[in-house]
Amino acid sequence: MPAEKYLSGNFDRPGSETIDGYIALGGYQSARKALESMTPEALVELVKESGLRGRGGAGFPTGMKWSFMPKAGKDDRPRYIACNADESEPGTFKDRAIMEHDPHQLIEGLILGGWAMQAKAAYIYIRGEYVRPARILEKAIQEAYAKGFLGQKVMGKDFAFDVVLHRGAGAYICGEETGLMESLEGKKGMPRKKPPFPANYGLWGMPTTVNNVETFCHVVHIVGRGVEWFRGIGSEKSKGSTLFGVSGHVARPGLYELPLGTTAREIIFEHAGGIANGRELKAFIPGGSSTKPLPASLVDVKMDHDDLAAAGSALGTAGLIVMDDTTCMVRASKVIAHFYRHESCGQCTQCREGTAWLDKLIGRIENGSGMMRDLDVLLDVANQMEGVTICALSDAAAWPVQGVLRHWKDEFARHIQEGKCPFPDSFEI
Amino acid sequence: MPRFTIDGKVITVEPGTTVLQAARAHGIPIPYFCWHPKLSIDGSCRMCQVEVEKIPKLQIACNTPIVDGMVVHTETDRVKAARQAVMEMLLINHPLDCPICDEAGECKLQDLTFQYGVPHSRFEEPKRQLDKRVEIGPRVMLDQERCILCRRCVRFCREIPKTGELVVEGRADFSVITTDPGCKLDNRYSINTVDICPVGALTSRDFRFKVRVWFLKDTPSVCTGCSNGCNINISAYKDRVFRFLPRRNDAVNDTWMCDDGRLSYHRIQSADRIRLPRIRDDAPGEGTISQATAPWDIAIEAAARRLRDARDVRGAAALGAVASAHATNEDLFLFLKFCREVLGVERPGMVVPEWEPDDLLIKEEQAPNAAGARAMGIGDADDARATLARCERGEIDALVVLGSDLLLAADRERVLAALAKVGTIVCIDTHESDLSRIAHVVLPAQGFAEKDGTLTNGKGRVQRIHPALRPVGEARAEWEILGLLAARMGHAFACASPAAILKELAQEVPAFRGITLERVGSQGVPLEGA
Repeated sequence: MPAEKYLSGNFDRPGSETIDGYIALGGYQSARKALESMTPEALVELVKESGLRGRGGAGFPTGMKWSFMPKAGKDDRPRYIACNADESEPGTFKDRAIMEHDPHQLIEGLILGGWAMQAKAAYIYIRGEYVRPARILEKAIQEAYAKGFLGQKVMGKDFAFDVVLHRGAGAYICGEETGLMESLEGKKGMPRKKPPFPANYGLWGMPTTVNNVETFCHVVHIVGRGVEWFRGIGSEKSKGSTLFGVSGHVARPGLYELPLGTTAREIIFEHAGGIANGRELKAFIPGGSSTKPLPASLVDVKMDHDDLAAAGSALGTAGLIVMDDTTCMVRASKVIAHFYRHESCGQCTQCREGTAWLDKLIGRIENGSGMMRDLDVLLDVANQMEGVTICALSDAAAWPVQGVLRHWKDEFARHIQEGKCPFPDSFEI
Repeated sequence: MPRFTIDGKVITVEPGTTVLQAARAHGIPIPYFCWHPKLSIDGSCRMCQVEVEKIPKLQIACNTPIVDGMVVHTETDRVKAARQAVMEMLLINHPLDCPICDEAGECKLQDLTFQYGVPHSRFEEPKRQLDKRVEIGPRVMLDQERCILCRRCVRFCREIPKTGELVVEGRADFSVITTDPGCKLDNRYSINTVDICPVGALTSRDFRFKVRVWFLKDTPSVCTGCSNGCNINISAYKDRVFRFLPRRNDAVNDTWMCDDGRLSYHRIQSADRIRLPRIRDDAPGEGTISQATAPWDIAIEAAARRLRDARDVRGAAALGAVASAHATNEDLFLFLKFCREVLGVERPGMVVPEWEPDDLLIKEEQAPNAAGARAMGIGDADDARATLARCERGEIDALVVLGSDLLLAADRERVLAALAKVGTIVCIDTHESDLSRIAHVVLPAQGFAEKDGTLTNGKGRVQRIHPALRPVGEARAEWEILGLLAARMGHAFACASPAAILKELAQEVPAFRGITLERVGSQGVPLEGA
């Protein structure tokens, strides 16, 4: 039996982006239920019990994150939610679909988060390039205000909650939670050192929780249908479904809502129609460009946090990038390395210098000017960049290099030995 | 109070102390670039990483508050490898041309490379090329290639003068330090950015490429540019001053000083220093003024004779004296003693020049020791103006003047006209002025960089100066000159050194009670009641 599409079920229904359409399909009932019958503490507990993990890439347990906010009464500073809609990880395009086709699902999720954390407002930080989703979302927010679902008395209750949409200006680093907050405050998007942590010192120095768009949407359904239902979907430690974004050399690239734990094989070959143009699968990146590429031999890996970690990669944002057998893995690494070099904010030494070093070094190998000793240097540089900086961009640049060297070191060696790229039919940079 | 263990040592600290602060206080070396004791924590250079038990990742010591029971290791293999990695990353794009870099010898990057770096490079790519000579401000030059982006300078401008001219433009390895559009690094404290720059990226346009720093000898002293009394080191080589550097004193100037004060060293050995004693030798009524140099004993004799004559003819009422807020406590104490005991002048006046102050370091009084002078009973500008009025009325036959600030007592023409009526002017000063040019006896005084003594800043803090240079020409300390003059006039002053004078000062003036050179030390002590 195919799994139910609870997140994307409304996507193809006409009028799903309007508030009336959403209400007609049963929308805003979870928010009403929570506001009328659940204490904020109970709601946090519910999300904890559900086992929901953040869908922004790191997979941190959402309920636990919410519980980090200071207890009301002990700390009466205004508290905020920042909704991360800066979806910038290459290979990732799920939040865009939610905001374009079902924006009220997000707004309802934000109301739930706002209630659970007793937040004054939620700031949606949407990437600058998302012009159309921003327009749709803005309209949806206006509709929600007009219906009294946002504002001074949300759904008639003594709960004031605002939602503000803020468009970014095109920096990947502004999707890092503290870079996002800096940018929201009008500063250059540079991640903040921790401590202090956002739950204590976030937006404008106030308690703040940052969650991904999709994460909030799951909460709507957890409240509506219960923890048992949610825990029945997905695998052992990765509950629920997710929107797998499949791109690259597949016959039918697109978004596929499937339970976590679905195998890469099923996603690529059943849902996305297999490899395009009758070619063979060579490699796939499971969760956006920062996760380690895996070879075709591991295509039976379950797409969840544990199984992918065991396979030497990560679920990330579930943006699955598929590469066929024409692909030069050195060239693919070069594209990724260049991206992270371009997007590093430049404050931490290892990231600022390391991303450029990786880019230059891989570029030289791809151009046929590499030396065998470069391979050791390459791995060393990547290792030196891992886990040592303010934010995870440095890790994000290091992981794909580590992954590629683990599975395709021989391809690098061939470039060096042959003095040129041995994949004439590979995609061009 | 939290107790923690660092490299096996158990240390108790104040709550909120970071690992780096505690390590520094206990002599445990942890290297860093971006951290600075007087700036906010940046946490970006990553050089101060240490291992904290129960935390999987290495932590930066600068931003890790100590919690009770924490166990920190600063010298594990993992820490060493991490430091080495940071050094390697910092050096791949750094121009490794220390021999031609002005920072060499006082470069944090160079020093830490020797201590923590690897002696070879694995970097085979072209280095980043950026602007080498950016005139980022009137007093500061920027070499973007040498910059390691620690952003100390950016934080300084935002947090200390609060002018915020500097920014990091661009991202990743394209990041460069620059100014906001249409703006120059031109605040009154801009050269401090050069001091805190850990590499040769920011250099002082006044100092750069004049001397290798390892030749310089530093002498602790105090800036005399205003009454704040910023603590400094005078850097000299072969008897020439090359720069002032601020010296840390948290009660006075933290680690900063203003640009005007810093560049005031040019005055020390300027061409207009008075080098030799002079005696005026034009015939009275001739209309032209002429002075001839003379040996010290002749000049002292001439001054003594003229003062004695004036006193003998019309008595002490015909004598006047004006002090200077530039002289040391010791000079001033002896001057006051000379005025009272030898001349019979009870309250010499004193004019203190003023300039535009700010709320950081720069104080309105543009002289280092007005507070010391006042504390011991020297008069003010009104007293000086009263003396000047008596000169105008022809009541003064002889005037002893320290320094030349008397010229600022009133309209310049009026001052000079009044002084023209005085039969004898004995001028004791460091630099030529309209006063030294008309004085009947000119006695060259040592500048503050040439002598020992103490100065009292505007908040009443007594601070020590030391001789960093040989005196210019035959200049002598004011206290010594006054002692010679007194002796010639029949008064033997027992004080033979600044230490001895300070001892007497401490005995006679209550505000200075208990103050000795030893107690003043390198950080100064407040006057009683200050």
